Amino acid sequence: MSFLTLVDISKTFGATVAVADFNLDIEKGEFVSFLGPSGCGKTTTLRMIAGFELPTTGNITLDGADITFQPSNQRNVGMVFQAYALFPNMTVAQNIGFGLQVRKTPPAEVRRRVDEMLTLIHLEEFASRYPYQMSGGQQQRVALARALAIQPRVLLLDEPLSALDAKIRVELRLEIRRIQQTLGITTVYVTHDQEEALSLSDRVVVMSRGRMEQVGTPYEIYNYPTTEFVASFVGQLNLLPIANLDRDARSCTLAGQPIRFEHSGDRPISDTPRLAIRPEEFWLGDGQERNLLRGRVETLIFLGAIIRVRVDIGDGVLISADLFNARSLNLPRVGDEVLVSFPVHACWLI
Amino acid sequence: MSSKPNAEIVQTKRDAPQARPAMARWRDWLGVTPFFLFTFLFIVLPSVYLLVGAFRDTRGQITLKNFVGLFAPEILSAYWVTIRISAVTALGGGLLGFMMAYAVTVGGLPRWVRTILLTFSGVAANFAGVPLAFAFIATLGRTGMVTVFLKTVLGLDLYDQGFSLYSFWGLSFTYLYFQFPLMVLTITPALDGLKREWREAAENLGASTFQYWTRVALPILMPPILGAMILLFGNSFGAYATALSLTGGFINLVTIVIGSQIKGDILYNPGLGYALAVGMVIVMATAMMIYFALRRRSERWLRQ
Repeated sequence: MSFLTLVDISKTFGATVAVADFNLDIEKGEFVSFLGPSGCGKTTTLRMIAGFELPTTGNITLDGADITFQPSNQRNVGMVFQAYALFPNMTVAQNIGFGLQVRKTPPAEVRRRVDEMLTLIHLEEFASRYPYQMSGGQQQRVALARALAIQPRVLLLDEPLSALDAKIRVELRLEIRRIQQTLGITTVYVTHDQEEALSLSDRVVVMSRGRMEQVGTPYEIYNYPTTEFVASFVGQLNLLPIANLDRDARSCTLAGQPIRFEHSGDRPISDTPRLAIRPEEFWLGDGQERNLLRGRVETLIFLGAIIRVRVDIGDGVLISADLFNARSLNLPRVGDEVLVSFPVHACWLI
Repeated sequence: MSSKPNAEIVQTKRDAPQARPAMARWRDWLGVTPFFLFTFLFIVLPSVYLLVGAFRDTRGQITLKNFVGLFAPEILSAYWVTIRISAVTALGGGLLGFMMAYAVTVGGLPRWVRTILLTFSGVAANFAGVPLAFAFIATLGRTGMVTVFLKTVLGLDLYDQGFSLYSFWGLSFTYLYFQFPLMVLTITPALDGLKREWREAAENLGASTFQYWTRVALPILMPPILGAMILLFGNSFGAYATALSLTGGFINLVTIVIGSQIKGDILYNPGLGYALAVGMVIVMATAMMIYFALRRRSERWLRQ
């Protein structure tokens, strides 16, 4: 039996449907991310788990008990907020110990637990500081410690890194995963950042317009997206118009050039099918078991580790190809005629 | 390529006229000149005049007699009454104003109620003096509309019940008219600053509503609440026209005593009046300093 279960959850605000038909089973110790654009219902779902919102329909079960109508202060669920939400009138130690104090935990035990949490987040020397005396990253670590101090059954994180700068975000991301794995705590993480979701999670729930689009491991979500939304939202994707589709022969033409594909038959194809290929699947040049396309280099964009080459393959169709940067890379110039190729198995129809 | 041209370019740029001419900065100062002029003419000069006058007798000789006079029983009594009335109206107005501000901010009242309350408060906080006294006499005086209505329709004679508009409590009640709106105006921003996430975080950590208010919200709000109440205290402490118009000097407030010492025919002693005023300035300045200290503390907490 799953540890945290959401069954037929929906939430409406007036005429607006924020979440609909949400069903999810989360195992104990699992790290699940809700990934989607703003307004897709991911935070609303998290808030329903926390008890800040009441589902319009459906049930939430935690460790076998129905918590749908249980007040948030009785759920023993820890939450980390986007804007830290540290109590500004309390020191770091008082913030971390707050949950234990309101539970009437003996002072000695509160002190022991606070010290333990400070060690866990590597902020031992900051115990007597106030939130305004700390950086955003440090405050968010304190917020994490505060949520963990009460030994919650589930840890909820609502876009905890989005207010931080890029470098701190990556550091703290690793920290969150380390702590989660150390404690083995069941975690639900909300983010609109695909890199965060893919790098942290055991499973990712991709959401759009209040609905679940796909649930899977980061590998499945990235490599085998089941909907156009997932394919285009997670990672970069070329969606190219095709003609002369022959599903039996698994062939079509792209800008008049023949293409073979290995489309899995169980996936529905839309009325106006398009060929989907990740930019990193392209090579400059030929190769075995690969589709070949001829075109002219339109632009070269230097992105550091990656160089994005946009190639016009005719009929106004542009493809984006990501090449790994290396000093030995023989880059074409804008306007050069080039041959690009990609594996037959790397493309699919949407 | 030599480095000389670059150096010339740098030199040229450094010598270039400023993007914003100096004239513009001069014009900015011109804009605030009336403020400084006003402050100098009507705050600094009178304060100096008061201070000097407080140390002079009626013949212009330097003396400490005026300050010794402050310890006369009737003067001490005036200070005591003024402090009492200021404290009562600061507490009453503060409590009333806080509850109203709470209802339209943290509470669930519709937005239009907030707009109406804040607009009213903006006007009422500055509505004092003769018009306010007249308004209260017309409504709660012996023959005021409300008094007559209660007496004739409900059979309740306020004055028979011990109420008098011209007493300590009547004056306090009148002061509330401008005290609670001032509280609404000063405490609303602080209540707006209470983040929803603090409440949710507290709840999430297991706190009850009572625990949230006693351990988080009220400690955060305490500096601005106390600061606003001190402001109310000072506001009441300096009120003159309302009390004079309403009670005709029947209640012995410091401001009324000052008035009678400066312009009175019988009690004419401007030196004592100035000393009384210096005492008031000290009380008001202390109140303001405490207000700013508390506000600074609360702003520091809320800084991100």
